[in-house]
Amino acid sequence: MDSLKEDLKKHIIEELNLEDLQVSDIDDDALLFSADGVGLDSIDALELIVLMEKFYGIQVTNPDEGKEAFLTINTMADYIEKKKS
Amino acid sequence: MRSITAYCQISEDACYVNGDVVAQKNEESPDSWFKQLYKDLAIEYPKFYKMDMLSQAGFLGSEFIKQTYPGLISSYAEDEVALLFANSESSADTDIRFKESYQDKGSPSPSLFVYTLPNIVLGELAIRNKFYGENMFAVLPKFAPDFFLQYGQIMFETGSKAVLAGWLGILEGKVEVSVFLIEQNKPDGLQFNKQNVIKCASPDDQA
Amino acid sequence: MTYIGAEEIISPLGQNIQENFEAVRENRSGISLVPKVGFNKEDIHLAKIITLIKKNKFEFLLIDILEKVLKRIDASIIPSEKTLVIISSTKGDLDRDISNPFAPAVAALMKYFNLKSQPLIVSNACISGVLAINAANNFIKAGLYEHAIVIGCDVISDFVLYGFQSLFAVSALPCLPFDKSRSGITLGEGCSAVVVSKTREIYTSSPLELLSGTSANDANHISGPSRTGEGLYRTIKRTLEQNNVSADEIDFISAHGTATVFNDEMEAIAFDRLNMSDIPLNSLKGYFGHTLGAAGITETAISIQMMHHKLLVKSLGYSEAGTSKTLNIATENRTSELNTILKTASGFGGCNASLVFRKL
Repeated sequence: MDSLKEDLKKHIIEELNLEDLQVSDIDDDALLFSADGVGLDSIDALELIVLMEKFYGIQVTNPDEGKEAFLTINTMADYIEKKKS
Repeated sequence: MRSITAYCQISEDACYVNGDVVAQKNEESPDSWFKQLYKDLAIEYPKFYKMDMLSQAGFLGSEFIKQTYPGLISSYAEDEVALLFANSESSADTDIRFKESYQDKGSPSPSLFVYTLPNIVLGELAIRNKFYGENMFAVLPKFAPDFFLQYGQIMFETGSKAVLAGWLGILEGKVEVSVFLIEQNKPDGLQFNKQNVIKCASPDDQA
Repeated sequence: MTYIGAEEIISPLGQNIQENFEAVRENRSGISLVPKVGFNKEDIHLAKIITLIKKNKFEFLLIDILEKVLKRIDASIIPSEKTLVIISSTKGDLDRDISNPFAPAVAALMKYFNLKSQPLIVSNACISGVLAINAANNFIKAGLYEHAIVIGCDVISDFVLYGFQSLFAVSALPCLPFDKSRSGITLGEGCSAVVVSKTREIYTSSPLELLSGTSANDANHISGPSRTGEGLYRTIKRTLEQNNVSADEIDFISAHGTATVFNDEMEAIAFDRLNMSDIPLNSLKGYFGHTLGAAGITETAISIQMMHHKLLVKSLGYSEAGTSKTLNIATENRTSELNTILKTASGFGGCNASLVFRKL
């Protein structure tokens, strides 16, 4: 699970061009879409949907489903685990 | 009297403000040329990394002008600064990358798609500087000083108090960028005429 | 005074302005379900010109529309240094040359009609059409040209369709502007034109008066509309003020109305802030789809026809209010004396533009 979270952070930094961030800068429970957290926006949310399919083979067909799953690194990892099992 | 009060030119390996070199590309650096320039500015604007090269070019040009002359642009009210930009390639640099995303990389990338319009750079400049004024992005077959001269004058005649203009030639590694500020009733600067537009903005006439 | 007229449209609804207005008057839509064109080979609703040639269609449409415009004006103004052609387009012919999407078609147009001035391409997302008409007016008022032919053109491509799909912005049904159940855009393609001039005599039928227009940026987000309708509010306010026109003089608003949830909500907020929510309004996207660079000109052309025919055409696809501020959306065609019309547009990059034209 921890390596999944590490991987996820790496992919997010890479795919969303968060060049000013390191893996260690993102807390597992930091709110991804809050300005006090990672500060992602609506286009990032769509890019996360692309990322889910590209790296984890998970298709998110409804962006609203993504909103709940993409709250934090923890919720994303849970979502991936659940979809894979 | 209208004059070009500041101008920034960026080529593939150097950046000039008012004709003076302010940065040169470090070939040893692991960072891209534009990232080097962003770091030189020593500002905190993480959104820079999300921009495509066209938007980064306009951003860097305007930020170097602002850094050389603090307060130069911010002295205007929200609606008073017009944005007048052009190039020959439209957003082709990013268009090519977006096409690759769905042709070769499996899925159309939304974050690339939103940059596949040349006027997005105007939005980035507006957001950064709170510019609510006039916008114009034109695609011209080649650099045309008359376009800037004519439409720049028109923007003043129709109520703008300053015009931030630029030529943003960005395509697959080519960098021919100039950003210049046109103001009125200022004692300094170069008269806003064809010769000076060529001097400040022509890609063939870089400092 | 600046005049506007000689409006022409090529779209799925027809090959000229008469056919197009006839279709709109009959509330026919150019949108149809096109099989297997989506990124995952889904069927997608598009306003596609089925008969359009496959190769170099952007160039073909530019030449075709200018041929049509020629019949509506004194054709001798075309090969003249006093005439400027302005082309409004977001993507030109990117399937022909992605690195150079405009130049080959524009060079062909220049050669075909022996144009003397280099055409100007305005590429400002979905406000390109309104901005191009405003630019034409500005060039003429500044005395730089006497006439401007403003052409808007965009064609449907995989590129643009897949892009809007990646944003989850494509409607599963034909688009429903301002409606409660709207869920995105329907892409369209087309080519349209208007002629802006300082000389009334060049028109073969009566033109209208074009007042000056403006643009404004939201300064908020590059792809999401402002929650306060900031830029749209500001451009309309500025356009009305510059022309000394008050909101209650506007008889009709030709809105942008793309049918995305956020865009239409943004427009409703802006019109409400301007105390303009009682003014009759429509979106023409239900007829033509969203034709991007052609939209502002197509919608201006139809609005000109509405004025001539004294007919307010209904906003196709609208049945139930679906914005937080209620607008006066036309639900049926109705006879109406339209003297002054406001046209608005908003687009990616946070840009907004508006213009006003009125009866002579």
